[in-house]
Amino acid sequence: MSWLSSLRGTGSRKEPAAKGSGSQTQTAEDAPEIHRSLALPAVFAALSRGQRLNVLDLGAALGSNVERLSEYGCRLDIEDLYASKSAAAEGGSLGPEFFAEFLAPAEGRQFDLVLAWDLFNYLDRKELASLGSRLRQFCRPGALIFALVSYHKTIPAQPIRFRFVDQDQDQLIYERRTTVERPGPRFAPAEFNELLRGFRVDRSFLLRHGIQEYLFMREGS
Amino acid sequence: MAWKRSDETPGYNPSEPAPAPRPTPAPSFSSTTTSSEPPRRTSGDRATIGPSIFIKGDLTGDEDLVIEGRVEGKVDLKQNNVTVGPDGKVKADVFGRVVTIEGEVDGNVFAQEQAVLRKSGAIRGNITAPRVVLEDGSRFKGTIDMEPKERHGGGFQSSGANRPSSAGSSTSTDAGKTSESPAGVNRPAQAG
Repeated sequence: MSWLSSLRGTGSRKEPAAKGSGSQTQTAEDAPEIHRSLALPAVFAALSRGQRLNVLDLGAALGSNVERLSEYGCRLDIEDLYASKSAAAEGGSLGPEFFAEFLAPAEGRQFDLVLAWDLFNYLDRKELASLGSRLRQFCRPGALIFALVSYHKTIPAQPIRFRFVDQDQDQLIYERRTTVERPGPRFAPAEFNELLRGFRVDRSFLLRHGIQEYLFMREGS
Repeated sequence: MAWKRSDETPGYNPSEPAPAPRPTPAPSFSSTTTSSEPPRRTSGDRATIGPSIFIKGDLTGDEDLVIEGRVEGKVDLKQNNVTVGPDGKVKADVFGRVVTIEGEVDGNVFAQEQAVLRKSGAIRGNITAPRVVLEDGSRFKGTIDMEPKERHGGGFQSSGANRPSSAGSSTSTDAGKTSESPAGVNRPAQAG
């Protein structure tokens, strides 16, 4: 079963998502498809700390997300990982040199928050280790990575687009752009200790539909 | 001449004696310009750089500007609105009050009030503005520097005085080089 189909099959309702405890994903006729997140409140808590944060969005540039983040007065770097990866190689694994070029922020820039969305699912282990190495270099201690990892055998062939929902801090609208499926990497939780060295799992939530939400935190002081 | 003031007469010829002084800073042209088509005239106090125009140098002025051609250098109209049209191609830092990008910009965008990247637009550079609008489908690579709400009202240091009245507004170039570019060659390239 695909990620999305399983998402749709869990907690589907014919009305907009209602707030409440627990995690679920809902669909409704004539209503946006909602992914309820348990990790997202921590992201907004970080944004609300009052400091001016450096945020790295590894997804596509989405106006609604930029608008939402603008409320926090942050510095937002948008680096569309999937688009860059697709442009660099078709099907082949990319090495550290790609990620060195891909993630080259301004001198002295240290990120406080990384929005990885579901993009780790579109990297192989070697690529994720290379990306992790760059993130380790450019994230300050205490920085958070927000990621959604699928444990399904197959995932959508292209990343899902996630959007913040108005003022909600625990919901995301998701948009699937293709019905084509591809194999998913199915990272085991313990693998991240090696692939994202320098980061530890700060919070992790296994949702009912086979998605695990992670908040990784950059170690150090 | 790169473009005309929107209140100029249709038969204006830059080789003719200069018109009477205007109450606001007069346009300054430090170079010659050739164009295969006359600069377009638009409604209101808005100047247009036509699609066949290529300007290399700095642009400054006191009226709104629409760029349909190519500009390399710096666009500095902090008190006015700047629009890079669908065929516009700018390789420069752009300063304006509201900056709207429908074409391609390779440089940094500084907007006093708002920066808007339309669906057809592409920016490779940084955006500094209190409010940023990115339409889905637009292409952006860089950093968006958004002022916190309590600091809205001045995203960057303005070098000009208060916006002059529209009747006396003007736009000028301080171009180092200008050259003619065939119309239709300024299509936005696919950003990487």
